[in-house]
Amino acid sequence: MSDKTIAVKTENLWKTYEHDGIEVHAVRDVSLTINSGEFVALAGPSGSGKTTLLNLIGTLTRSTQGKVWIAGRDVTNEPEGVLARLRLQSIGFVFQAYNLLPILTAAENAELSLLLQGMDPAERRQRVLDLFGRIGLNGLEDRKPNKLSGGQQQRVAVARAVVGEPAMVLADEPTANLDSHASDELLDVMEELNRDLGVTFVFATHDPRLMERAHRIVHIVDGAVASDEVKTVQNA
Amino acid sequence: MKKSPWWTIGWRNMGRSRRRTYITAAALAGGYFSIVVLVGLSRGIVAEMIANGTDLIAGQLQVHAPDYLPDKSIYETFGGVDRASIDSLLTIVESDPDISAAAPRVYAGGLIGSDNFTVPGQLMGVDVDRESSVSRIVRVDEGRLPRPGTNEAVLGGEMARQLEVAIGDELVVVAPSVDGSMGNDLFTVVGIYNSGIVELDATTVIVSIEALQYLIFLDEGQIHEIAAVVLDPWDAEDAADRLNPLLQSSGHEAEAVPWTELRPELVEYANLVSASEFIIVIVVFGMAIFGVANTMLMATYERRREFALLLALGASPWGVIKSVLAEAIALGFISILAGVVFTAPFLIWWHVAPLDLSFASGGFSMSGSYVSPVLRVEYPWSAIVVASVSLFGTAVLAATYPAIRSARLPAADTLAGR
Ligand SMILES: Nc1ncnc2c1ncn2[C@@H]1O[C@H](COP(=O)(O)OP(=O)(O)OP(=O)(O)O)[C@@H](O)[C@H]1O
Ligand SMILES: [Mg+2]
Repeated sequence: MSDKTIAVKTENLWKTYEHDGIEVHAVRDVSLTINSGEFVALAGPSGSGKTTLLNLIGTLTRSTQGKVWIAGRDVTNEPEGVLARLRLQSIGFVFQAYNLLPILTAAENAELSLLLQGMDPAERRQRVLDLFGRIGLNGLEDRKPNKLSGGQQQRVAVARAVVGEPAMVLADEPTANLDSHASDELLDVMEELNRDLGVTFVFATHDPRLMERAHRIVHIVDGAVASDEVKTVQNA
Repeated sequence: MKKSPWWTIGWRNMGRSRRRTYITAAALAGGYFSIVVLVGLSRGIVAEMIANGTDLIAGQLQVHAPDYLPDKSIYETFGGVDRASIDSLLTIVESDPDISAAAPRVYAGGLIGSDNFTVPGQLMGVDVDRESSVSRIVRVDEGRLPRPGTNEAVLGGEMARQLEVAIGDELVVVAPSVDGSMGNDLFTVVGIYNSGIVELDATTVIVSIEALQYLIFLDEGQIHEIAAVVLDPWDAEDAADRLNPLLQSSGHEAEAVPWTELRPELVEYANLVSASEFIIVIVVFGMAIFGVANTMLMATYERRREFALLLALGASPWGVIKSVLAEAIALGFISILAGVVFTAPFLIWWHVAPLDLSFASGGFSMSGSYVSPVLRVEYPWSAIVVASVSLFGTAVLAATYPAIRSARLPAADTLAGR
């Protein structure tokens, strides 16, 4: 099962929460395989379980039932420390709220995972500067998040997710708070990273613009996969 | 891992809520201050009590004939026939490295009479030259000390008052002697002392050792006691343990007794004070620990999204714990620094120039020891170490629970604001 061409695989995955004694199945028997280099959207209405599924795939939440493999490795029962290292080395996250640290500058925020990896300061600063140049954040390195526009903040969040060159990026509603111009720009950046570096992207979204540009759309309804369509115009 | 990033993050967080950091550090430093100063003061009082309880007359160590105590019978002498045997004993006693001075003594009970009055008294025969480096009682307020071998006496102020005598007056001294007869002789008052303890001033008469030996028919080499000064009183037991075999092998029937055996109540008081030091440490840092824990809980709660983010990005839970502990250690370090900077001047000042409280109260005696109204502060080295260690311990202990809690945050839910 150590097939590197499979980025992530789930098998009969369930996540059940309890509200006042009533069971809520946020994710319901999801079996899904996403290959390396895919540009996938998880689409569905609010409350359908997109974020929960993304968190399960990203090892941020443990399943109630079922299994998760990442790059061919069964991570279902790995201890927290092992999962942390796995996330640090091979998964990038863009959260629904950007979650930048207000006390850190844009560059410092983007450097966080490199800092956690123990990379030395000069090297990580260089990497961030290169990336900022590519995604149109030139000259904004030393601004605090509250001095950045929503689109700029979201791009910093994307920079933080991809700067460590992870195999896979999980992005939760990355365009939700952006106007169409900003959202197009951000998608350009992500598409470019997908094309040039082969980074796997998985989005949770109900933004039609994003779905339009995805190469594959997995529709989620009530926690279950309702349809899985791969678009023909794919260059992967 | 080339270099742990946690110190960087911890340090930056410290600066973030500067006000709270300062307040917490100040509280810890205050705890440090109270412990060191309180312990320093109480040790000063103990040291003062021991000094007063020993250096007035007793000395920190005494040598007696084995059965001399507790009755202090005049028959229980040691030494030899002539003065040379006393000198050889003194040489042995003073050979101990912790002993700085020693003086031989003879005691007798008797009646002291003036023209109109008679009072019972304790006669103390001393080697005048040696005695002044051993006890404070021979510091006369008026007049001078008796010359060796003469019938001269120094009285306490209270006895002089009762007998209505002054310097130059004559006394009749009657004392039972060792051959069963009554020795009696005339003595001239040459000096008056005031020890601060009325009972002593009313009863003890100081005469030369030769005169008292003659009065009660002792040989020149026979004495009741050698009193010795041990520079650090707490070394007295060791000194006694070293002296006893030496005395035995010299052929003298005599034994050394430290002040701790002579004055067990002083030792008990010192022990009580040590115990109370422990309680002070527990109470002060017990209070501090809740303050710090509360601060750390608040600080980490405010930053829970930050911890969740770091955990989600792949920080190890252990790394989060380390970062919170690093912050606590830095806090402890700053607090100790502040505590030392704040405490040292007071401690040195009070040690060098003890607070004189005599304007508020006179001296008083406590379990038979005169305590002067001066608050002397000893350098409480062990308390300084204990306070520093407990302060660090407090900071780290108080941070442990918040640290573990932060490391166990459910990353996804916390980031979603749940
Ligand atoms: N930690 C939790 N505790 C309890 N219930 C939860 C939790 N997380 C999610 N749920 C529930 O699970 C269901 C799916 O939630 P989820 O956030 O995954 O939906 P979503 O598709 O991401 O919605 P949105 O588009 O609004 O972000 C919802 O009913 C939600 O209330
Ligand atoms: Mg969601």
